[in-house]
Amino acid sequence: MLDLDYSWLADPAYQSWLVVGVINTLKLAAISSIAATLIGMLGALALTLRIAWLDALIELFVEVFRNTPPLLQMLFAYFTLSTLGLQVTDPDTGLSMPLLSAFACAAISLSLFGGALAIEAFRSGIETMPRAIIEAGQALGYSRWARFWRIEAPIATRISLPALTNILSNLFKTTSQASVITVPELMYYAGQIYNDNFRTMEVMILVLVIYVTLVSILTYLMARLERWMAFPGYGKAAS
Amino acid sequence: MTHPEALIEIKDIHKSFGKFNVLNGIDLTVRKGEAVCIIGPSGSGKSTILRCMNGLMPIDRGTIRVGQHQVHSLKTEKAMRPLRHQVAMVFQQYNLFPHKTALENVMMAPIQVLGHDRAEVEDRARKLLDKVRLGHKADSYPGQLSGGQQQRVAIARALAMQPDVILFDEVTAALDPETVKDVLFNIRELVEEGLTCVLVTHEMGFAREVSHHVCFTDHGKIVEDAPPAEFFANPRDPRTREFLGQVL
Repeated sequence: MLDLDYSWLADPAYQSWLVVGVINTLKLAAISSIAATLIGMLGALALTLRIAWLDALIELFVEVFRNTPPLLQMLFAYFTLSTLGLQVTDPDTGLSMPLLSAFACAAISLSLFGGALAIEAFRSGIETMPRAIIEAGQALGYSRWARFWRIEAPIATRISLPALTNILSNLFKTTSQASVITVPELMYYAGQIYNDNFRTMEVMILVLVIYVTLVSILTYLMARLERWMAFPGYGKAAS
Repeated sequence: MTHPEALIEIKDIHKSFGKFNVLNGIDLTVRKGEAVCIIGPSGSGKSTILRCMNGLMPIDRGTIRVGQHQVHSLKTEKAMRPLRHQVAMVFQQYNLFPHKTALENVMMAPIQVLGHDRAEVEDRARKLLDKVRLGHKADSYPGQLSGGQQQRVAIARALAMQPDVILFDEVTAALDPETVKDVLFNIRELVEEGLTCVLVTHEMGFAREVSHHVCFTDHGKIVEDAPPAEFFANPRDPRTREFLGQVL
């Protein structure tokens, strides 16, 4: 039988590790989610311009980041960005240190990874726009830009939301891989704790519960957003 | 022959999709205040004529004049905009914006495209919704309205642009017979008020009662263009006779 012992949770050192870990996980998830969403919107927007070289560039970006493991991307970001000569001198210690911290490298690589997926999500929302809607906008005299902002973008955003929810919840879980490049987030501290107290099973169960809780909150909020933005006939109708 | 009083003047327009010639030399004149019905078998180019009139579809050859606009020479969407303020269109599938309420659908373009005053536009939009007898549905989304109601909102949306002409593209084709009546009632009212209307339709009874002249299209040509009494009682072209024999 499992003989679970959680008495170590009373230790203030473990408590503070867990709290810091959760806070860093939330920070990393929030920053990369927002950046990924923005990259997705901008990328999909750029694709509507139908500029051949820009399309090719975005296509390449999406393919590279979608078709490689995020862990590899993170290691790549960590080791290349920190050795590219981007060094600053710490004003306090006088020591030379990388300009980009492990956290920054993780945030950048996760943003790009999520952004590549988000571009596809928003692109599909724009491309499934019924021809009829576009024609109606044209017939009413909307310019191409006004049509995009007033009509197509709001509809496409609503259509893309369920796909975006998937991407962001996956991105949230992928933040755990930042532990490999020493970002002190939840997974990193979990390792610290079980290396210290050997209560591997207990620590893993606790971390699992924390992730389930946090990701559930995220998907709940996204579902609320979806319902708030819904309109009858598309997705979750409010009526 | 030019018609100085003609609001729309179409001369010898041609249009093909690949090898298929949809329009094979169409001539059509619509005077101010007239209602013109275009009927004909499917694939004969009826809807294409309407789409060419407001520049939704470029033509290969010929000339189209609407008011002071030479439609065939407008190349960019920007150049089309003054034309589109003058020519409104109502579609078979209503084409309302699904993320906006009925009232917002009617108000959007006058505010966002024409830059009219919001309060004035709202007043105008509410009156137009009352006119199509949907004042009580102002806050409903298209997805909450029946097909006939959506189509009447689409008519109100077209009217809100205060156009000189409205093009109706088979606007009752997707509706069930009861709601067709309501939509036709609204269109008849507009014709009686003197608004210029060009209608592609399969409603023969409506064409006979409302229009000033009726055109019959076949294989990309207008083979008959006559006042309704003459058109229905005594068609000259054998193809018109055959078609009317099938549908009446």
